[in-house]
Amino acid sequence: MNRLLLIVAVMFLSGCYNAPDPGGAASGGPGGLAGAPAQSFDLRRTDGRSDSLARYRGSVVLLNLWATWCTPCQAEMPALERFSRENAGKVVVLGVDQGESAPVAAAFARERGVTFPILVDEHQQYGRTYEGIGLPTSVIVGRDGRVVRGIDGAMTIEQMRVAVAPALADSASRAAAR
Amino acid sequence: MSGRIAAAAVAAIAIALVLAQDVFPSTPLYHSWQYAFALAIALVVMGAYVNGARRGHDGVAGRRLIVAIAGAAIVTIAGLAAGLLGPDTAQVVGTPGTVTPIPALGAAAFFAPADAATIAGGAAGVVLRRRGAREVALGPPSRDVLGESLVYLTPRPAAYLDVYDEHGAHLTVTQPSNASFLSPVLLFPDHQRIGALDVPLDTFAAPARHRVVHALYFSTRDLARFDHAGARFDASRPGLILSAADDRGQPLGITLASSGKDVEIAGLRVRAALGSYPALEIASAPPTWALALGIALFVAGCGWSMMRAQGG
Repeated sequence: MNRLLLIVAVMFLSGCYNAPDPGGAASGGPGGLAGAPAQSFDLRRTDGRSDSLARYRGSVVLLNLWATWCTPCQAEMPALERFSRENAGKVVVLGVDQGESAPVAAAFARERGVTFPILVDEHQQYGRTYEGIGLPTSVIVGRDGRVVRGIDGAMTIEQMRVAVAPALADSASRAAAR
Repeated sequence: MSGRIAAAAVAAIAIALVLAQDVFPSTPLYHSWQYAFALAIALVVMGAYVNGARRGHDGVAGRRLIVAIAGAAIVTIAGLAAGLLGPDTAQVVGTPGTVTPIPALGAAAFFAPADAATIAGGAAGVVLRRRGAREVALGPPSRDVLGESLVYLTPRPAAYLDVYDEHGAHLTVTQPSNASFLSPVLLFPDHQRIGALDVPLDTFAAPARHRVVHALYFSTRDLARFDHAGARFDASRPGLILSAADDRGQPLGITLASSGKDVEIAGLRVRAALGSYPALEIASAPPTWALALGIALFVAGCGWSMMRAQGG
């Protein structure tokens, strides 16, 4: 045991490990998911209730992947909350905490006055599936359950309005066609 | 007679060379000029024999052997075409739960979601979906032929991580150096040379605690090499050597984590389920129908030729 650890420690400390290969795993980031069916996973919310993206089928959804330690996520949260209130009944904002425990995510949401539902994704299923290349990551899902757009990074409220506009317009045009 | 045996032997060797593409796929040899040259020589030899046999130089048995040679030629040409024109061997490594387009196959590969138990059991599969065509579900031992490509899975070392802080709160795992940033599954795209061992290497971070951790994957066989009196680790299951540092690269410790066991390092409690997750291999392969038809003709032709030879 000691011999093995000593050898490995020397190798690490001498910095002679290979540089990681960014191309080692195939992934296109959230932007490449437009048009794909939006995957859904049943999870617990911060209030303990069971919930999932699929439950909001028929609504335009802004799915937001975040974590409490993520500074850009903290900065984006007030805009998300305002956007959620502003678009109540038109757009569902669904937060998905990545990898953290429910009490941690719940405390954060409470402190910041977040009222939209937050799923606790301890095993980062949404993060993996939506190919987040950083946090926050936002995914706009149309009423038909397909990804309209994937956005990497924090957005302002104006950018959120622009991002959901095509999904809302598509819904409006379908309603008019009927 | 000796010419007939030589021609049959050359035909059999050519068939064996082509069958090798199916039995030992993903070998660069099949795309080399040497391989193509060997098959071309076999075709020339077979053609020369058929030319003579057709004119009766090897009697009735020789004429009958033409059927076998024709079968071998079908296999050889199919193998030559697959080697020269088929896609280069490719390995697609996908993160569990993601979809990767494969333009060469006109398909999308759906890499199955994987939890700790799936990784530990090496049971995950890949589904290939194509527009207007059947869905191909590949499990660890299975393989399939799509057009001129052979598709199958090879297991790669993988680790499913659960990381907690000192209070037992679950922590986000990120992989800043990999494309799968938000995945807690390490797929070890790199290797570290340690003595005679070539050890899979990956890196993850726990941003909430400002920790970066390098992980080296040791199989049970690798661990057994280090086993000695007084060893405290469990060499009956694979393990990770974890080396933690802070955000600035300051080393904070090193430890060994056996699969499924919790270890503490640099203020983190890490549990790693070690096992495998498949990579999708795509290799060129001759069409199955050509192999089946060619081999059937070869066997029938050889048998017929021998019967005639014995009969008269």
